[in-house]
Amino acid sequence: MNIKNVKDLNKIKKETLAISKKHPKKVLVCCGTGCIANGATKIVESVRDGLAKRKLKDVSIEILKETGCHGFCELGPLVIIEPQEIFYTKVKPKHVDDILDKSFLENEIIEPLLFTNPVDGSKITKYNDISFFKHQQRIALRNLGKISAHDMKEYIGVDGYQALAKVLFKMTPDEVIEEVIKSGLRGRGGGGFSAGKKWKICKNIQADKHYVICNGDEGDPGAFMDRSIMEGDPHGVLEGMMIAAYAIGAKEGYIYVRDEYPLAVTHLEKAILDCERSGLLGENILGTDFSFTIKIARGAGAFVCGESSALMKSVAGEVGEPRAKYVRSVVKGLYDEPTVLNNVETLVNIPTIIRKGADWYSSIGTKKSTGTKVFSLVGKVRNTGLIEVPMGITLREIIYDIGGGILEDRPFKAVQTGGPSGGCIPESMLDLPVDFDSLTEVGSMMGSGGMIVMDDKTCIVDVAKYFLEFLVEESCGKCTPCREGLYQLHKLLEKICAGKGEMSDIEKMERLSENVMIGSLCGLGKSGPNPLMSTLKHFKDEYIEHIKDKKCRAGVCPELITYEILDNCTGCMACIPACGYDAITGKKKEVHIIAQDKCTKCGACYAVCNFDSILVS
Amino acid sequence: MIHITINGKVVQAKDGEMLLTVIRREKIDVPTLCHHEAVEPSGACRLCMVEITKPEWDGWCDYVTSCLYPAADGLIVNTHAKKVNELRSSILDMYLARHPKSPEIRQLAAEYGVLKTQFEEVVDGDNCILCGICTRICDTMGFHAISMVGRGHGKEVAPPLNMAPTACVGCLSCAKNCPTNYIEYNMENGGLTIWKKDFEMVACTECGKTTITKEFAEYLSKNRDINIDYFRKCDECHRKELAGTMGRISNWDREARS
Amino acid sequence: MKHNFENLHTIFDKYPKSQESLIAILQDIQKEYQYLPCEALEQTSEVLDVPLSTVFSVSTFYNSFSLTAKGEKIIKVCTGTACHIRGAKLLQDQLETHLKIKAGETTEDMKFTLEVVACVGACAMAPVVVVGDKYHGSVKVSRVKKLVKAK
Repeated sequence: MNIKNVKDLNKIKKETLAISKKHPKKVLVCCGTGCIANGATKIVESVRDGLAKRKLKDVSIEILKETGCHGFCELGPLVIIEPQEIFYTKVKPKHVDDILDKSFLENEIIEPLLFTNPVDGSKITKYNDISFFKHQQRIALRNLGKISAHDMKEYIGVDGYQALAKVLFKMTPDEVIEEVIKSGLRGRGGGGFSAGKKWKICKNIQADKHYVICNGDEGDPGAFMDRSIMEGDPHGVLEGMMIAAYAIGAKEGYIYVRDEYPLAVTHLEKAILDCERSGLLGENILGTDFSFTIKIARGAGAFVCGESSALMKSVAGEVGEPRAKYVRSVVKGLYDEPTVLNNVETLVNIPTIIRKGADWYSSIGTKKSTGTKVFSLVGKVRNTGLIEVPMGITLREIIYDIGGGILEDRPFKAVQTGGPSGGCIPESMLDLPVDFDSLTEVGSMMGSGGMIVMDDKTCIVDVAKYFLEFLVEESCGKCTPCREGLYQLHKLLEKICAGKGEMSDIEKMERLSENVMIGSLCGLGKSGPNPLMSTLKHFKDEYIEHIKDKKCRAGVCPELITYEILDNCTGCMACIPACGYDAITGKKKEVHIIAQDKCTKCGACYAVCNFDSILVS
Repeated sequence: MIHITINGKVVQAKDGEMLLTVIRREKIDVPTLCHHEAVEPSGACRLCMVEITKPEWDGWCDYVTSCLYPAADGLIVNTHAKKVNELRSSILDMYLARHPKSPEIRQLAAEYGVLKTQFEEVVDGDNCILCGICTRICDTMGFHAISMVGRGHGKEVAPPLNMAPTACVGCLSCAKNCPTNYIEYNMENGGLTIWKKDFEMVACTECGKTTITKEFAEYLSKNRDINIDYFRKCDECHRKELAGTMGRISNWDREARS
Repeated sequence: MKHNFENLHTIFDKYPKSQESLIAILQDIQKEYQYLPCEALEQTSEVLDVPLSTVFSVSTFYNSFSLTAKGEKIIKVCTGTACHIRGAKLLQDQLETHLKIKAGETTEDMKFTLEVVACVGACAMAPVVVVGDKYHGSVKVSRVKKLVKAK
């Protein structure tokens, strides 16, 4: 494939569309990491074999699409039949023949494979009728689940690289920057700084070289949108980078990807190679003066590399220790040259903004937080997965309309946003519109978009302890407040969870938190106490309960709870082998007993008991 | 030249000069544990943080490490603002919990009113405060024999693979500049042991004293273009020799004049 | 442990000889041997002309690298936030009891290494356990035994 000019590009687009029109009937198999984990690879093989058996081998590449993630990973493997938009969940290889015969060749629907609405148990046929998808508006995730992730032609078929052509032929770099500023697009990686303004600062600095770096080192535990985008729409990311490079005058770019994301690395490598071979990367792209190359730098597992100066050191092969940022990396970044660092989600939005215009984009969302945001809605919610919604939507709409409410109809306790730098938001604030500024105001933050829903079985002190433990592990150890301060905060939380806390510890933690926030060198330490501070602010009574009453109302903190077996125990003996500590004894059909001196309160018996006979108190 | 205000006094400074340099020139005592003139500042200990503001900031102020913050015209600096002092006490409190036995840390903490840590003392805490002066000096010297190993709370200074470092020449720059005198070395029987590596010392041909390792002498001879014979005498004997030479010269002078 | 270090050169040849390649090379070595053998670190330092102390710093700073040999199969318990609140700790506890090792350790027969890792990015199917390179989602206590059956 040779793409030397716009004519070539448009020719491929036309051909791809023509082929697609010829084969309107398609079988889309989701091949995101989630679905692959659930067995999607076998489904793809079965569909391919099935098509061959039905004498469709030659056109199977047009029919069978190995798409990126739909976001509904828990129900995978997912199969969608087009054009009817039939949505099948938890498909097994044995179902494939049936799907091909009934739904692909005919127009029948296989009921048992349909999605069951968790709220009322009804079956839903069509993709867009499912509430999880119905309320979404997909811009960043536009191609996920729609096209074969590793096929450049398909990307071109859905207007891929048209935005690149537009900027190269119809816009000056300054016009591109102005358009992005006008769109109001703010960085999706955490800080929420205007992407266009960042580009402008960078472009205006005289230097030998400028760099573009795409941050795909998604470190926030609980967020996986960047992974899905890199896996499912690698060309979208590349096109965004190319446009940024053109705007700031960069010739070299890097994508920094977590090494834990092998599929993303593979797809990006393939996409880069395809672009290099066809001429979309390299010298004189589309016959213009614009030249650009992209290299992949694999991260090696360090959350602190979310910090720009640390990330750039890591790209250069050094230890990812941040430096004090009195000179910003946009001025002095990679190899001390001006560098634009944008995250995956920010960049993947760019091509659409260029094609459809800043006015269109800024009409979505709120005035100060325009457009849409991808969230990973996970935790104790019925529908878990990746969602993209307009900014300004309320937490309630996300959790109840899209998420379908709390698992097992339990009471909602809190939602955690912003990862380890963010905070917990209580029920009283469920009607909060979700945008950059509102979240910051209530002591949390947007972060990269993790949204972890918690029910009454989640202990808020334990959650704070969890995040502090994570940060202690991930602190680079360079500066004292972060290295020693977070360590001491974690120790204090451990003490409270063990029932040894004192009321003065709360004040101690508040003071220490403040000093860690002021004193730390980089964002990790500066925002590290946030999960503690926000839970102290909204859930202080739970802390006091742990300290004064030595009680954990959620039944989580081992030192503050006991496990007992109730009289309704059927004597099924399931819990006996499940207990790793030989703490449970009992005979068949007789009520079992937990020996308290042996019980470690691990919760294994509770997890395996089918009769609600384990009482945690 | 620019003007900045430190603790109410207007002082001159070079544009872009680090605040700490100006502060020290003014003989104002700001504590540091990771700062050393010989190496680039790193901003690790955070004790040199000061409060800064500008008239146009409308009362807003910021807290920055003075070792890394470039002076700019009109900047108003407070080296001992209430928050800054609180921060220093808190950081020293953290240090004290980690290194309860270090006399240097105890003294500095006491100066900021921290006599006993309010936090849990680290069991078996050593006196390495992870300031990185030793590793930075070793890098600046060009040896790269030791480095920071690991990360976070478990970080430590160590030679590669925790074995006697091949790159070490026994120059002792690390040990002599350690602010808490943590780096151990042993100099006896005409040898030196540091970082588990044994060195042979050059004995002075005049007095027999051993002051430099063979490796370091060879390194300096090779890289600084100094004749290796120079190191066969110790500094003291070199000086004695120099004094003798100078004396002879002035004698000749006197004789010539008379 | 004896290794054949001839493969190292195939790794070195893939990258430009500068510090920029250090992390990528260490990752490839880690994949090849499941850990970073001392000899490999020394050779890397020589080939890239990067001080051994720097190579050591980098190898001990990042989570992806290990300086001790690991078992044939690595079991990773994801402890991302979503997994944590859906019971990752319990799974870790169960795996530790079954394998009779603590997280971070390797069984005596060198069959399994148990690790806890921060988010593997499969949060929608929490709790997640990764065995080798296979992801297992929505893992229940009752499935733990199956996961650790050798091979």
